Amino acid sequence: MPAPDQAVIRLKARLLRSYRARICGDLVRPATAASLLDLPPDLAPGLREALTARGLPQLYSHQREAFDLAQAGRHLVVATPTASGKTLCYNLPVLDAVLRGGKKALYLFPTKALAQDQVAELIELGRALKTAGGEGVRAYTFDGDTPGDARKAVRTRGDIVVSNPDMLHQAILPHHTKWAQFFEGLAYVVVDELHSYRGVFGSHVANVFRRLRRVCRFYGVGPTFIFTSATIANPAELAQRLCGEPVTAITESGAPQGERHLLLWNPPVINPDLGIRASARSQTTRIARMAAVVGLKAIVFARSRLMVEVITKYLKDVFDKDPRRPPRVLAYRGGYLPSERRAAEQAMRAGRVDLVVCTSALELGVDIGALDVAILNGYPGTVAATWQRLGRAGRRLRPSLGVLVATSDPLDQYLVRHPEFFFGASPEHARIHPDQLLILLEHVRCAAFELPFRDGETFGAEDLTEMLSYLRDQGVLQHQGDQWFWVADSYPANAVSLRSVAEGNFVVIDTTGGTQRVIAEVDWSSAPGTLYVGAIYMIQAQPYQVERLDWPGRKAFVTRTQADYYTDAIDYTRLKILDRFEGRTCGQGATANGEVHLVRRYPGYKKIRYYSHDNIGYGNIDLPDQEMHTTSVWWQAEPRALESALPDRAQAIEGFLGAAYALHHVAALRSMAELHDLGRAVGDGQGTWFAVTGAEGRGQLRGPDNAPVDGEGVDRFEPTLFLYDNYPGGVGLSAPLYDAADTLVRDARDLVAGCACTGGCPACVGPIMPGDEARAITPRAAALAVLGLLEGAV
Amino acid sequence: MGFEDRLRRIRGQAAVPEVPPVPSLPDGPTLAERLRRVSTGRAVPEPATTRTPDEAALAAVLGADILAPGVLRLERRLDARLRHGRGMLGSAHVPQHLPWPPAEASPGGSGLQPRPDAAEIGEAGSRPQLAPTAAHSVWLCLDTETSGLAGGTGTWAFLTGLLRAAGVGWCLRQYLLTRLDAEAAYLDLMGAELAPDAGPACLLTYNGRSFDAPLLTTRFRLAGRPDPLAALPHLDLLAPTRRAFARVWPDCRLATAESRLLGVQRADDLPGSAAPAAWLDWLRRGETGPLAAVLRHNRADLLSLAGLLPVLDAVYRDPAAFGADCRSVAAAHQARGDQAQALRILAANRRDLDAAGLHDLARLYRRSRDWGRAIGIWEELCARGDPEARAALARFHEHRSGDLGRALELALALPPGPERERRCRRIAEKLERAGRNLSLGELGVT
Repeated sequence: MPAPDQAVIRLKARLLRSYRARICGDLVRPATAASLLDLPPDLAPGLREALTARGLPQLYSHQREAFDLAQAGRHLVVATPTASGKTLCYNLPVLDAVLRGGKKALYLFPTKALAQDQVAELIELGRALKTAGGEGVRAYTFDGDTPGDARKAVRTRGDIVVSNPDMLHQAILPHHTKWAQFFEGLAYVVVDELHSYRGVFGSHVANVFRRLRRVCRFYGVGPTFIFTSATIANPAELAQRLCGEPVTAITESGAPQGERHLLLWNPPVINPDLGIRASARSQTTRIARMAAVVGLKAIVFARSRLMVEVITKYLKDVFDKDPRRPPRVLAYRGGYLPSERRAAEQAMRAGRVDLVVCTSALELGVDIGALDVAILNGYPGTVAATWQRLGRAGRRLRPSLGVLVATSDPLDQYLVRHPEFFFGASPEHARIHPDQLLILLEHVRCAAFELPFRDGETFGAEDLTEMLSYLRDQGVLQHQGDQWFWVADSYPANAVSLRSVAEGNFVVIDTTGGTQRVIAEVDWSSAPGTLYVGAIYMIQAQPYQVERLDWPGRKAFVTRTQADYYTDAIDYTRLKILDRFEGRTCGQGATANGEVHLVRRYPGYKKIRYYSHDNIGYGNIDLPDQEMHTTSVWWQAEPRALESALPDRAQAIEGFLGAAYALHHVAALRSMAELHDLGRAVGDGQGTWFAVTGAEGRGQLRGPDNAPVDGEGVDRFEPTLFLYDNYPGGVGLSAPLYDAADTLVRDARDLVAGCACTGGCPACVGPIMPGDEARAITPRAAALAVLGLLEGAV
Repeated sequence: MGFEDRLRRIRGQAAVPEVPPVPSLPDGPTLAERLRRVSTGRAVPEPATTRTPDEAALAAVLGADILAPGVLRLERRLDARLRHGRGMLGSAHVPQHLPWPPAEASPGGSGLQPRPDAAEIGEAGSRPQLAPTAAHSVWLCLDTETSGLAGGTGTWAFLTGLLRAAGVGWCLRQYLLTRLDAEAAYLDLMGAELAPDAGPACLLTYNGRSFDAPLLTTRFRLAGRPDPLAALPHLDLLAPTRRAFARVWPDCRLATAESRLLGVQRADDLPGSAAPAAWLDWLRRGETGPLAAVLRHNRADLLSLAGLLPVLDAVYRDPAAFGADCRSVAAAHQARGDQAQALRILAANRRDLDAAGLHDLARLYRRSRDWGRAIGIWEELCARGDPEARAALARFHEHRSGDLGRALELALALPPGPERERRCRRIAEKLERAGRNLSLGELGVT
């Protein structure tokens, strides 16, 4: 068997030779040498010895840089690649401060599992310190599982407390006096996985940090924030928005890296008319098989637990036919018992496994040893997550190969054709909006509970006095002397979830077998489109049917079912522009951004069969209209230009609908948002008509009462394409979209223009009807015409 | 666009509900209006009305003095012959039987066990030092009324009632906070009563260890003051009450304890849960009536607390006389190392003990080497088919009486399992060594 170095290169050469047409990108990132610096000269006693004993006699340059910044009390964010030793960037300054006497640190991780791994590592370091003759260090986790009688020990004895933002929000800050000792010594706040603090969650956490800093001021301390992040476009900006103070970014890694090869793989087109490609799964299993055959160890990432099981089965059918031999293929995903997972990790570390198939569960933290090839079955949703997964291969300076296999989702299709997204500067801007009115108000409430506000204090960008007066009028606060005192008999943090906007989430309750068990939470704004009587609600590929809805109680009762179809709500969204904040011309049209009023009606839903995607029935939905005020970006084409480009109004509407579909997807990519964080709509902006795709697949105009409207009869025909922030009040997604409007239109046009289909397909402008591709102006051509007008390229 | 324009636009559309007119600011809609717009689904409540409270009027209604702006104190001397329920409220009681010497205040904490990973890093939790009861003859009963039960930094202890032993009687002082910005003064004045220079005292509470004391500690910390409670020994009566009555009473609230043990029936008592509203009514609207009822309720709680101490002491001497759980009381004595007391209580109530209680008693006899009585109990239980008693007897005959035949007979009747196998095998081997030729197979032991 050849040396693995050679084997990786040979495998790549073979793939290139045999599948030239499927590979749309072949990228090489050359190996980089380590950039090492000495340990800081005056570390706390024992620390140097402990590090040397653990094989760290020197630091990578970014680790040293982080230490020096932290020592100087500067907030910092380390955004270097996976496996570059980010942990030591914060552990070193923290341990140094702890060992020098009396200092404390708070570590925040977005998940419990990561927190536990971290504590294990700190305990190891603590042992090494003791062996080196120094003081130990006491690190404890503090989360929902920490028993009541242990909490006091954590509060009073912990040097390093490892927790999560929800615990900080609900358990630590509202009880800060019990943590007085801890706060009085608090020198560092460490926030790992910064890039996951975006959107609604990030907006909440920024406010939790405002509260944290307020409490710290009360105890006379001003801790230094140390963030670590995957590679995103704006780590310093995001960190700054989160902690409210200037943050220095460290983005140059001093860690060595083996040569990295990345192939972007697009499955072959099997029906050019409809743009249908072979499944990503078939390609993924083929590449995995080829890797295993030449003796390489590979990891396959799939996007769902179901897909993990399917791919595992296909690979086991090939490699694990003989039950007497130890398995070469292993699945790893959430939902397995911890003992099963530990055994799997063990087997991987020991090199007994050749192929691991997993979900994002293996993206972070867990040590599984060295692998040669990483295969991604579908784009994981963000470029940052893509790199985290690819980083699983080639940990030991050897060359590694990553293959991203595209599915037929528009985002996948767009990305495989744009390799620069992976090797240029990161395109992803993580956005938060800490001053979102509803979110801010909730945290002003929590902050007032924790410490009385004083006249003249500030909290966020809104007028604090106005907010406090509002809360006084609600009977929650009293103003006396120069302070605002909490007087209500309640614990406000319990009513605020960091993952939603203020309206109260729906809980999904499984009633199968007569018991009631909460199995999921659904954000208020997406509830009407997902939880209606008859809806199939999926959790990890397990279908549940909604049986009953308690709308005021925010509950949906479901039972397990065996459906071979899924449901898709039909919604009609009408938007009306309330206020235009700013606008400019854009090609032969205009773009603007402002506040909109939105009415969404859910008249019914479709039942769609899996795989064939046949529509096999309809159901009625009986829900009141949903109304929302939010922010939006919109585009309009100059009417005469539109008329000359697309004289037929029905085609113009179709063009706008297709353009909206493409824009929606590329906007989600740029803003690191999920698709459902944004909504799209086409209408006239006055609420007089709006456009939908009718049952026969054609664009239609509807009036305010949902009755069909004749497009040719409309006086001022000025179609408007909206991308709106899908949260009440908006969470700050639309303003950056407005700023990047030109880029988005260009991206969307690229997406549609570069698609391999003829007349339009789900990968570019959305599903089309059979026969559409033969029309003189196909839906795809119409969308291109509209995007061309908006871009000014026509 | 101005606020009026925006409002007109919204109203112009039928789907949007009618908006009541709201005063506008020159530069845009009010916060309330903006919230109403973005709040979907939930009604925004109407503003609460407010009126300025009159402190002097409140003091007059309560019969209290204004110590400082915002701090009222009501003071009364209580004679030792004052009746409360069935008993008199002497203050000189020294508990003899309560196996709960108050926990001495200690900086190390309250004796919580550290969690496992704490131990792993080499940090051991320490049990608090326990001081002898008799050293604290001056009782200081404490009970607070609070703005809620939620806990956390937003909960106020607006009323602190203190009942201090004075001679053979008591001195009652209730400190009431009537203005929110006067809390520092309130804590200073009330805290002085708890400070060491007010004389050595032992705190006496009912559920104060987990509620009143931590809450006051929080308030002292928030006000930036040292916590006087940390230096006081503390006896909380909830724990001994629970131990003795949890399995006998529907609940162990103070109201239940006082009615069952003291015979106190409160007339027109304001329930404790109404206290937050009473205080808010005062703060918002200056209402004095409900607050007066809160003070009465707090006084009654303090008197019951004082009255409970001698009665609970008696319960721990003779639990049966009070319908208490004898076994649990005996176990409490035993846990404190007082075997004699535990044995006395169980022996006196032998007739009423269930199997578990009888086992406890037999175990105590065994420990005091009173084999005759221990065997008596085991035989009795064994006759009822109790396997644990059978095992105890088998052990006794194997190791003590030397009657191996009887031991084997008992062991063979044990429920099947590795324990039975081991014992039977061992006894059989001993018999074999003793010259009795028995094959194990014959005995059904494999």
